[in-house]
Amino acid sequence: MRRTTIGFIAILAGLAAVASSLVYAQFNAGYYAVRNPGAIAQSALPKETDGATYSVAAYPLYTPELAPGTGREEVQSYCSTCHSTRYITMQPPLPPETWAAEVNKMVKVMGQPIPEEVQPVIIKYLQTHYTPETRKP
Amino acid sequence: MVEHRKLSRRKLLGTAAIAATAAAAGGLGTVTSLFGEQSQVPSDEKSLPTFTGPSQNPYWNSVGPVVQYPQKFPLVLLTDRPVQLETPRHYFEAAFTPNGAFYVRWHLDEIPNSVDLASWRLNVEGSVERPLKFSMGDLTSKFKPVTVAAVNQCSGNSRSKFQPRVPGGQWGHGAMGNAKWTGVPLRELLDAAKIKQDALFVQFRGLDEGKGPEGHGSHEFLKSLDLKNTVLDDCIVAYAMNDEPLPMLNGFPVRLVVPGYFATYWMKGLSWIRVLDKPDENFWMKTGYRVPDTPRGDTTPEDMKTGNVKTVPINRMPVRSFIVTPDGATKLISQIPLTIRGIAFSGHGAINKLEISVDDGKSFNAADLGEDYGPYSFRTWSYKWAPPKPGRYVLAARATDRKGNSQPDEDVWNPGGYLWNRIDRQEIFVGRNS
Repeated sequence: MRRTTIGFIAILAGLAAVASSLVYAQFNAGYYAVRNPGAIAQSALPKETDGATYSVAAYPLYTPELAPGTGREEVQSYCSTCHSTRYITMQPPLPPETWAAEVNKMVKVMGQPIPEEVQPVIIKYLQTHYTPETRKP
Repeated sequence: MVEHRKLSRRKLLGTAAIAATAAAAGGLGTVTSLFGEQSQVPSDEKSLPTFTGPSQNPYWNSVGPVVQYPQKFPLVLLTDRPVQLETPRHYFEAAFTPNGAFYVRWHLDEIPNSVDLASWRLNVEGSVERPLKFSMGDLTSKFKPVTVAAVNQCSGNSRSKFQPRVPGGQWGHGAMGNAKWTGVPLRELLDAAKIKQDALFVQFRGLDEGKGPEGHGSHEFLKSLDLKNTVLDDCIVAYAMNDEPLPMLNGFPVRLVVPGYFATYWMKGLSWIRVLDKPDENFWMKTGYRVPDTPRGDTTPEDMKTGNVKTVPINRMPVRSFIVTPDGATKLISQIPLTIRGIAFSGHGAINKLEISVDDGKSFNAADLGEDYGPYSFRTWSYKWAPPKPGRYVLAARATDRKGNSQPDEDVWNPGGYLWNRIDRQEIFVGRNS
């Protein structure tokens, strides 16, 4: 019984040590919220405190409308893990081979786990809607 | 004068519609003026397209919508997650860019919304005799503050001018800004920690993180500089920007300032300074932000396909200048003098000449340089000129730096969309004065 308790305390201490080595600074990151484009916000006054925490509101999201068509859902789910799909609509019309290279880069270099069978669906979608020949205003 | 009254039926209908709209909006003053000259009807305003290409972006800025982010003025949106915002052209009439107007470029989406300085520390670690942790209080009280005016310019500034276009942030010319940075010399922090004999590089990491897997560029953003690089003597860990705390989106609580170098090295939310005893193999040094090892970093799509283009990490900024006003949006009047204004800078030291052409670059005359805030700052310039007669003019600005580098009049091309510094032009139209 006593041995178990000591073991338990040792595990707790170990966990605490690991946790404290992970905590390097208290900060919040990656807080985004949807806003209406065109609205100019007037900042509300902060509640004044003399604490050491400095904060800003959520970063507004402006999710673009992607061209309707086969593959759009796959693009929306796999391409927005790390970034918004505005990364697609912001680009100039790009040649089909450039879109293929971009998707391959995201998989091979950036490590985004897009299933083998989905990759061509995503490439095809981008080539169908976002090349000089196919992009619509 | 009579022909102005001859409005067609269609125009009259249009005028009536606009008058009705204006009246509805309470703009009765506009309504009365509409019965004057036909040209006062603001009928030809067009909204910008939502994208440009495959030809060159014809505008000075990017074409994104104007949006507002915390602590920022309305800026041009490139992307919302991670955040990339461009500074509108008119802010560059001044030598210093206001913090609220300063452009924003993050690589990874988990960027700070809140930082607790009670627990935040700047870590100096790795190949050092004495690893150290500095609080904000340590940085402001234990070191004598130094200040430098320096331009922070994104490596991809003006990428939308490339032909053929390349993928990446489609910046116009507004991915740059100049600020007065105050903080601690990087050397003093490194000296305090005592760099070991075998040390080769110093690596920087900020608070931002991405959702990609560990060991990939999509997970963490890391940059490093060679310990032999003399730019380290100019580097500052800045806690103030234009005499204010840094906006969260510009790198609160501290960011690295690397005067003369592209912004990719200016780590935002800097929290780890790691001394390495081997070269940095991470994506953002080994693969990203590299330029062809050629004059101007120039190459061609054909040469890239051979796979034989040697590259080096991007480093100092080439000499550049920009015409800020007139911006071409307004017709000018023959023989009425105006002042052509803009800015210039170089990563290779002070600007010592700025020339203006009013004939599309055929001939140039010296402009007046504004106040000198040091070799790494924007230098404002101005040139008084009265358009001699009506017609179309193309203005051009060419800067030369202390080292004798002048802006070329040829495009640059590389697959990353970096190092654009072609002579800047502005088309203007001049009307009769009576």
